[in-house]
Amino acid sequence: MGKIVAQKVAQKLNYDLISREVLLDASSRFNVPEMKLEKAIHDAPGILERYRHGKQSYVAYIRSALVERVIGGNVVYHGLAGHLLLKGIPHVLKVRINADLERRVAIVMERDKIPAPDARARIMEDDKQRRKWTQSLYDQDPWDTSLYDLTICIDKLSVENAVDFISQAAGTEGFKSSEKSIQKAKDMSVACRVKASLVEEFPNISVTCEYGNVLIYIKGKDQVTGKLSKKLDHIRESINDIHHLETHAGLEPPPDAV
Amino acid sequence: MSIFIISSDAREIEENIAKKVAEAMGYKLLNRDILATVAANYQIDTDKLSEAMKTTPSLFKKLPSRQWRYYLACIEADVLEKLMADNIVCQGLAAHLYVTDVSHAMKVRVLSGNRQGIQTVAEKRGISLQRAEKWLASELLQRKKWSLTAYNYDETDLTRYDLVINLDQIDPAEAVKTITGAAEYRKFQVMTYSMKCLSDLALAAKVNGALLKSMADIRVQARDGSVVVLTRASSRQKRKKIETIKALAGGVEGVSYVEVHVKKNILKETN
Repeated sequence: MGKIVAQKVAQKLNYDLISREVLLDASSRFNVPEMKLEKAIHDAPGILERYRHGKQSYVAYIRSALVERVIGGNVVYHGLAGHLLLKGIPHVLKVRINADLERRVAIVMERDKIPAPDARARIMEDDKQRRKWTQSLYDQDPWDTSLYDLTICIDKLSVENAVDFISQAAGTEGFKSSEKSIQKAKDMSVACRVKASLVEEFPNISVTCEYGNVLIYIKGKDQVTGKLSKKLDHIRESINDIHHLETHAGLEPPPDAV
Repeated sequence: MSIFIISSDAREIEENIAKKVAEAMGYKLLNRDILATVAANYQIDTDKLSEAMKTTPSLFKKLPSRQWRYYLACIEADVLEKLMADNIVCQGLAAHLYVTDVSHAMKVRVLSGNRQGIQTVAEKRGISLQRAEKWLASELLQRKKWSLTAYNYDETDLTRYDLVINLDQIDPAEAVKTITGAAEYRKFQVMTYSMKCLSDLALAAKVNGALLKSMADIRVQARDGSVVVLTRASSRQKRKKIETIKALAGGVEGVSYVEVHVKKNILKETN
């Protein structure tokens, strides 16, 4: 249902529609099979994965690719976790489309050609994974309304009504891009690129960026080792928009760090 | 469109948005001002009704559960009666919890958002931002508890609303525009069936109010003037209870037939 609404909003506002393209971008840029990325964004990490941090790396790659895609504005993103991955960019309108369980069952039955009990079980499992995924990676409940700017229940409203609501909200002052909000998106893109370059070897780091000044927060006991220094030198050379790069060991990262 | 039911996690914002929607649409605003009329109709103290809307039953506050439920039933019956009239914006009367399956009633939840909510509460109450934040958090918990105890619904559950607007980045004036924009949607227009659903709810609420005055543990459903009452009683009391319910419910205007289903009250049976 969300996909149809997204398509119509993109059509109405004449915006680009993106969804799977983000995974393809991340896959080619970071040389990871698309299947693994899709699994990383869909399924909650298992007990062993929590220690291996593989999923964390994949999510960082997806986030970097997504932020890169939306930086130019005029984009409708339809897919999982967009509201969390793009959190912090002021001109992003975060929308949730809700539908009654029975309606969702009917859609899945028609789409996947399966009987109602299987469709219901699939939806329940999907919702369970979504909740676990968000809780394990972001420590939040995906059903928490405060994560969205607009939540529309599609049961009584039609798709067209939802499109009207979204288009209207997108045109309001709070979601118009300004110099400041564009700068914030650019900074987030730099922070995401830095994090994506480091996350595989240093999964516990957090990164912030303000006007090109990058701060890397390293967890308590970790130190800036030779390996990290070398990696940082490489990052300084390879990522263009960095003016200054600093590391902070043992400091609590701010809430908006990626 | 005939009914907008507006609720929020911050009372000040809820009142403000509802008032503005009513002004913009030229609709009548239904809010807690009606409690005085309800109190007069049912000969109850207005303060007790206001208290019932805020708190859950408590012996310390001298508000036993049966009395509390009766007060809520009186308010519900009156609100549903008033909602039968067209073009109303309803706020502060918990209508989002008991107006169910009425397609022409649009339920909107306005989230104060961290910034906007704390600031509005701090300004209106003349307190610091920190105190306003704490006050908002405790108020939300209290409302959640209240809604679950009163109607077995969690009012923070977003699936209960047709539209949820977060004011963190959306200006209240824009939110009002979005809400009023929905008035023209076909799905929110009054239909014969949706009106029938509302009148059935109103009748059930009236019967519920009439019964709860003298008994507890009652559930009422109504359809086209026929009323089904579900209750509990011991075998000894069963006949008498059925007769009392039939007499009381039958006396309510609009009731043409009463059916009573009694479940065994195991506790009383054992006694």
